[in-house]
Amino acid sequence: MSANASTASTSVAASSGGKKDYSMIALIIGVIGIAIALIGLVMDLTHGEGRVGQSWLIAYGFWMAMLIGMLFLTQLTYLFDAGWAVVVRRQWENAFAAFPWMALILVPVVALPFFVSDSSGAIWEWMDPSFVLPGIHATTVGNDALYIAKEKFLNVPFFIVRLVIYFAVFCGLGSLLRKHSIQNDAQPDANNWLACRKISAIGIYLTAFATTFMAFDLFMSLSYHWFSTMYGVWFFAASMRAGLAGTVILCNLAGTKGWLQGFYNKHHNYFLGCLCLAFTVFWAYISFSQYFLIYNANIPEETFWFNIREMNADGSKNSWWWVSMALIFGHFLIPFLVLLFYKTKVIRNRLMGICGWILAFTLLDMYWNILPKQEADDSVLGYYVQQFIPNVWDIAALVGIGGIVIWATLRSAAKHKPIPLNDPRIKESLHAHQ
Amino acid sequence: MSDSTAELTLSPEAARQRDEVLAQVKPVDVPRPELVTGDRDFHWVTEKICGIPESKTPRWWWIMFLVAASMATFTLFGLTWLVSTGVGVWGLANPVNWGWAIVNFVFWIGIGHAGTLISAILCLLRQKWRVSINRAAEAMTIFAVVCAGLFPLFHVGRVWFAWWLFPLPNSNWIWPQFRSPLEWDVFAVSTYGTVSVLFWYMGLIPDLGTMRDRAMKGGRKLKAMAYGLFAMGWRNSNRHWRNYEMAYLLLAGLSTPLVLSVHTIVSFDFAAANLPGWHTTIFPPYFVAGAIFSGFGMVLTLMLPLRAVYGLHNLITQYHIDCMCKIILATGSMVGYAYSMEFFIAWYGANNFEVFAFVNRAFGQYAWAYWIMVSCNVISPQLFWFKKVRQNTALVWIICGFVNVGMWFERFVITVTSLANDFLPSSWGYYSPTIVDILTFFGTFGLFSTLFLLFVRFLPMMPMGEIKAVMPAADGHGHGSGTQGQGYPAKEGGHH
Repeated sequence: MSANASTASTSVAASSGGKKDYSMIALIIGVIGIAIALIGLVMDLTHGEGRVGQSWLIAYGFWMAMLIGMLFLTQLTYLFDAGWAVVVRRQWENAFAAFPWMALILVPVVALPFFVSDSSGAIWEWMDPSFVLPGIHATTVGNDALYIAKEKFLNVPFFIVRLVIYFAVFCGLGSLLRKHSIQNDAQPDANNWLACRKISAIGIYLTAFATTFMAFDLFMSLSYHWFSTMYGVWFFAASMRAGLAGTVILCNLAGTKGWLQGFYNKHHNYFLGCLCLAFTVFWAYISFSQYFLIYNANIPEETFWFNIREMNADGSKNSWWWVSMALIFGHFLIPFLVLLFYKTKVIRNRLMGICGWILAFTLLDMYWNILPKQEADDSVLGYYVQQFIPNVWDIAALVGIGGIVIWATLRSAAKHKPIPLNDPRIKESLHAHQ
Repeated sequence: MSDSTAELTLSPEAARQRDEVLAQVKPVDVPRPELVTGDRDFHWVTEKICGIPESKTPRWWWIMFLVAASMATFTLFGLTWLVSTGVGVWGLANPVNWGWAIVNFVFWIGIGHAGTLISAILCLLRQKWRVSINRAAEAMTIFAVVCAGLFPLFHVGRVWFAWWLFPLPNSNWIWPQFRSPLEWDVFAVSTYGTVSVLFWYMGLIPDLGTMRDRAMKGGRKLKAMAYGLFAMGWRNSNRHWRNYEMAYLLLAGLSTPLVLSVHTIVSFDFAAANLPGWHTTIFPPYFVAGAIFSGFGMVLTLMLPLRAVYGLHNLITQYHIDCMCKIILATGSMVGYAYSMEFFIAWYGANNFEVFAFVNRAFGQYAWAYWIMVSCNVISPQLFWFKKVRQNTALVWIICGFVNVGMWFERFVITVTSLANDFLPSSWGYYSPTIVDILTFFGTFGLFSTLFLLFVRFLPMMPMGEIKAVMPAADGHGHGSGTQGQGYPAKEGGHH
């Protein structure tokens, strides 16, 4: 890869148009953000209530969803042999450079509680057997019949093994797909492309399972009493939306100010816009089905998860009810209506605008999935619901992790050709038309 | 704002850099497969497709037709027996009050989904290989919906009161139960049936025009009149094609959510209940994937023999078979993913009843059915990973048979195992179908085949215009391959 990098460097350095500066800025912002969030995390573990760990996880979920979405898109476009996507694919490959960093970024939120506060500050309550569960029949996690039933799955060593497997899948696939694609720039050979197709065919299975169980582990197990077979599909849908929206913004910025000038055009925007519309509907379909089936069955062991996202212990509406409404209208209805229009998909600023909007609501969706939880209280049901109150640590973590992701992407873009030069479908992509 | 749809004007420096990169572009050669092989021209396509309904009825067709029509009489007999005697002639008894009827309903409605997937979703995804198979698959959709509809219709018992399902106050001013997914099925399936017929018929119009013109030229006036009546004055004009293309796209857009909603609501028939094994949130997308899976199994089951009999190898190429096999592999794996999620979450949910429902499926009294389901739906499609298997049409046909069998068993396993062993062990039972159940279902294959044979005999089974549009000759851009062009159906080819 280093040989490729050196061959590519001449033209890329010329065509980069100062993007190394941007990558340095991103790195500096990322490091500062991560440092602030780390300080917050340590302070919180010694004196706080575990809220900063949640900030970390919300930001982490947001950026990870975007990267997973891009990994799915790369593999899907290989499998469908989609000609239009080749120019865009190199940008996804650049983003894969962030996967190893994302593995590293997950370490503090998992490991720090064990070093700082003897696991009692872990955001996953099941990690602390002495944690007293809120409710009128308060018990500790260690004595909880439901935890005991799941202990073979929800235990720290196995949790860590699983995380290692997920990142082996994401980093491994990302790096293999990058390697063959970049290798093809310097040494054109159809076998590189065929290898990527084969990797994608197997990789899509691995990615599907890694994504599903990552969603179970990182998000669903926050309320470990709750379960839903649809949850992995929800995270897939959220990832595809974040991946597509992130792609639109990245490609349009690079297409107007950076290394994609003259390569990326409105037809690529149209195709990505169509996919944004499709996955907006898909996300709504999955989210609604999950909600509806649980609402309709009305079984308390499942409904509590939605109940705390709607009301307080006394039945009054809480802040999550407004967030829920915002998701229905802001994350589905508005993007759906706006993306229906042809012009939204071809007018650059409009598409970037709605994709920025989708990203904002993806973040809100992460809040909605991660933050609400029951805290012990002397109310009639023995708990109160942690409310939707964003704070400065959320911003630090979001900017910090985002800075690292953007830095890794820009750094990769600076090293490699702006487009996969010798891909068999590159001309179809350069001349893509609706 | 309109100016921002235009491409950016590059600075001289950016243009130079772009040209520098473009000068290095040398794509490796991986040609896209031809969608019509054998160096055929437009005329050949017209002759081949129109030749099938225009030629003398072959003997095999009569034999098949008689066999199929005779088989269909079993359904007629079974339903007559049912109406004259009562629903008791089916094997339904406590605790299994939903048996083969609902299983057969879901089986047939699922089969139909491939047609809409091919004509609508693959159209939106611009998968041009679909054009060789979409007409026949859409016809299959309609006939499958007909077979599916029979079961719930007669399951109501007194079929003459079936109109009560519609939201019309009956003589006692009783309204249907709007909160029941079965009531939603009435709307979902009837809308789906209607739109499928419209979509199919609209796609036929240009070809009916061609059939009319050819019949007229050949002096067959009655035929020309019949085709002409349904061609609705089609003249192959530019304006006609423009309207046709727009209507096709709109119907594709409408059908896509519709096809998803139908099987979603079918899944709600189960998932909206509180029964272990039925109430699980993944049911909607899992049912849709399963429906597409079974539908493609049926498409290949029908198309491979037709390809052999009519020599359609240049139109349904190995590439088409490869694509369909890969869709079967993908959707079969999605179904496998859903099976594994159900099992995992049943355990993870730590609900004893849920755990029992799944362990009982795999190791209980219906374990045989469960393992037929898993073998046929999850394991057998994995053979499609291998090129040699995909290239062996006989083997592909056999595996598709397994898919059809497996998907019927999936619905059987879901329906019967959860009901037969529910919450109260003292009420457990073992469900077996009666001979009336079996023959009624057996007969629907006859009904389906009869309708399909009539379709093959009287209508062009492939859309000529759309096929011509994906041939190299239709590519006005000179890319050398029709698969790269996005042109409208070749108007100059319409009358050949």
